[in-house]
Amino acid sequence: MAEDISVQNPDIIIEDEHRFKTNTSNRISPVSNILLNILFALCAIICIAPILLIIMISLTEEKEILVNGYTFFPQKLSLKAYDYVITAGDVIWRAYGVSIFVTVVGTLLSLMVICLYAYPLSRQSFKYKNFFSFFAYFTMIFGGGLVPWYMVYTQLVNIKNTIWILIVPYLMNAWYMMIMRTFFKTTIHESIIESAKIDGAGEFRTFFVIVLPLCRAGLATIGLFCTLGYWNDWWLPLVFVTDSKLYNVQYLMYQTLNMIQYLASGSAQFAESSKVLADLPSEGARMAIAVISIGPIIFAYPFFQKYFIKGLTIGAVKG
Amino acid sequence: MPKTTKIWGLILVMVLVFSLTLTSCVTPSPTGTGTTEPSDGTPAAPTEPTVTLKMYLVGNRQEPDTPKVLEEANKYLKDKLNVALDLNVFGWGDDYDQKVNTALASGEAIDIVFTANWAANYYVNAASGYFTELNQYIEKYPAIKQILGEDFLNGSALNGKNYAVPTNKEKVHNWGYLVRKDLVDKYNMDVTGIDSYEKIEPLLKIVKDNEPEITPLCIATMDAPFQLLDWDRISDDDVPGALYPDNRNNTIINNFLAPESIEYYNTMRDWFNNGYIHQDAATMQNQLELMKSGKYFAASQSLKPGKDDEIVASTGIDWVQIDVTRPVMSNRETTGALLAIPAGSKNPEKAFRFIELLYTDKYVKNLLNYGLEDVHYKKLSDNVIELIDPANSGYNPGHGWKFGDQFKDYLMSNEDPQKWEKFLAYNDEGLALNSLGFVFDKTNVETQISACKNVVQAYYKQLFTGSVEVEPTVKQFEAELKAAGVDDLIAEMQRQYDEWLTAK
Repeated sequence: MAEDISVQNPDIIIEDEHRFKTNTSNRISPVSNILLNILFALCAIICIAPILLIIMISLTEEKEILVNGYTFFPQKLSLKAYDYVITAGDVIWRAYGVSIFVTVVGTLLSLMVICLYAYPLSRQSFKYKNFFSFFAYFTMIFGGGLVPWYMVYTQLVNIKNTIWILIVPYLMNAWYMMIMRTFFKTTIHESIIESAKIDGAGEFRTFFVIVLPLCRAGLATIGLFCTLGYWNDWWLPLVFVTDSKLYNVQYLMYQTLNMIQYLASGSAQFAESSKVLADLPSEGARMAIAVISIGPIIFAYPFFQKYFIKGLTIGAVKG
Repeated sequence: MPKTTKIWGLILVMVLVFSLTLTSCVTPSPTGTGTTEPSDGTPAAPTEPTVTLKMYLVGNRQEPDTPKVLEEANKYLKDKLNVALDLNVFGWGDDYDQKVNTALASGEAIDIVFTANWAANYYVNAASGYFTELNQYIEKYPAIKQILGEDFLNGSALNGKNYAVPTNKEKVHNWGYLVRKDLVDKYNMDVTGIDSYEKIEPLLKIVKDNEPEITPLCIATMDAPFQLLDWDRISDDDVPGALYPDNRNNTIINNFLAPESIEYYNTMRDWFNNGYIHQDAATMQNQLELMKSGKYFAASQSLKPGKDDEIVASTGIDWVQIDVTRPVMSNRETTGALLAIPAGSKNPEKAFRFIELLYTDKYVKNLLNYGLEDVHYKKLSDNVIELIDPANSGYNPGHGWKFGDQFKDYLMSNEDPQKWEKFLAYNDEGLALNSLGFVFDKTNVETQISACKNVVQAYYKQLFTGSVEVEPTVKQFEAELKAAGVDDLIAEMQRQYDEWLTAK
């Protein structure tokens, strides 16, 4: 026993010493600690201030915006902008519904498609690995251009003016697929798959029961990307959707801001432009729409945060 | 009751959308799609299926009650032409341009689109062959030609071919100032006899001397009194090259450096130094928003009869209109609002006959513009109406000037009962410019144009607002424009213009 201890002890001491050393060398001095804290506090303020400003503008009285410009501290608060948004209601709530549906369904389907493509490519035993890798990679460099792309969705697969047009074009993303493939490669050792096989699991069972649960971090990362991508998208409705029932929130906002900018810039050279401009939502209402469109997506972050950093760093090694 | 109509409206839209989906799926027969309308009246020709015409317009939004209005319109149109209308409205600017240009480029089967020199670019799309040539139809159904007049219709033609028909509305434009009515009354100002942009100075001086809170002149980017020189531009706003707006000669000059313009820069510099112009004029974007704030006395504006009333409605402040320049008919008006038939349309003739209806049929025109009687508007007399709750109305698209014959529109109760008579008189007063119908082809000088644009963008704001010393800036401006190839550009403009003149 005593021998054992004497043998073990030096190890422990050395280990302790080692831990201590690394600790001091990693610890930052109080001065730089404060400086770093100030630096990141500033960064945080730079990020948060504009959002606060938008919220304050949306609460400022319209007349005051015109006279005094934007301010963090309006003299008079008013909920009129939100009143406008709520009474203009139908359109916005509908768009909200579209956005939420597209984001949820789109993210799930997209994760599915990406994983089902990435997983085989991560396996050594897949014979056509190189071809399919290249096939995906190729789309990252070359695209068909806008009009052919448009024709594919409107004439070949006729899904223009259906909810699917807001989902299908973003289902597959070669870059996310590559991150996911690398993630599978680094997280799932061949031996795990082998042992599953020995225990009698088929390929699908292995994938859904063993591999996917082990890759939660990667799924969360790509899931977050997809969620943001779908939620923030206004390009698909801009190009494809002609039925106003299928507009999403981001698009409504984009449309409003863009219209106002366009009419105000004087590039619209028709005599009625000033009259039209007057009918569009006021400054405050625009900001209210912006605040509302931030909405639920802000809650997606804490949910994904847990996995996010890990997933990003592991998956980021390309190869 | 409203609920059921809503549901019916929805069903109707679904049926319509579904039928459209089907037709674009299957290779359509040349006669077009099958009927989808619940037929109430007897169709004009029972053997022929009803054709659905797809129409794209630019506007604020797709009005919620569009299905109801279309249902009503389609009952009427079925008897009249055996057509049904599918109307889609997209937002100003990028929204409309992106959708329409992409659809046109892909050859989609759209039957009627709104186009102009500022939306779904008429020149570009017509030159690319995306629009159907309409001359044969114009000859065959002459009503439109009679209403518009040869001059105006020819003005919208490209190389003698009409690819679209313009709205019949004000056919000329002029420039002037809008000034605050309360201040005009307060100081008993004389607003007559102002026939040039600088003659407003005494008024500005009164305001400057007596109203410390108010800035005499409101300027935002291109919305400056420079517009009152009314150069007849050959290309875009920010591309040098223009003719004098009085047909004095056919020589194209660099309008940014013409003596009149330099005199203008100097005047603005004086005004700026005198405090007539706000310090931030060079960076302001939205003139109307500024006017709304109530901190400005005067603003330069493109005018037409009754413009002051229009701006009163949108700013909530009373304005007086001062007409400064003489009305002229330029390309700006002839291609300001047009309807075209895309080359992808399967039924160009039906589409044209429907367009004709917008010029000749008061019922259809007003139905599409104001919606349903007693639902969206009340008739006060034969030709005067009042909108029902315009702010929350389910159909208030403001389409009046976008298609057909605007003079067939009902007047609103707050409008001048003589509005259309005044418009007609205003149109007659206008001078048709020599350049009417000339379209500059940019292909040979595209590098020069973009280089010149960059230079102009860098200088015009300071010069237009008097924010900088004129002489050194103009010198620099001139040198940079020269380096950007302005001489080649203007020579090319002149060459094309001369060729066009001789051909004419």
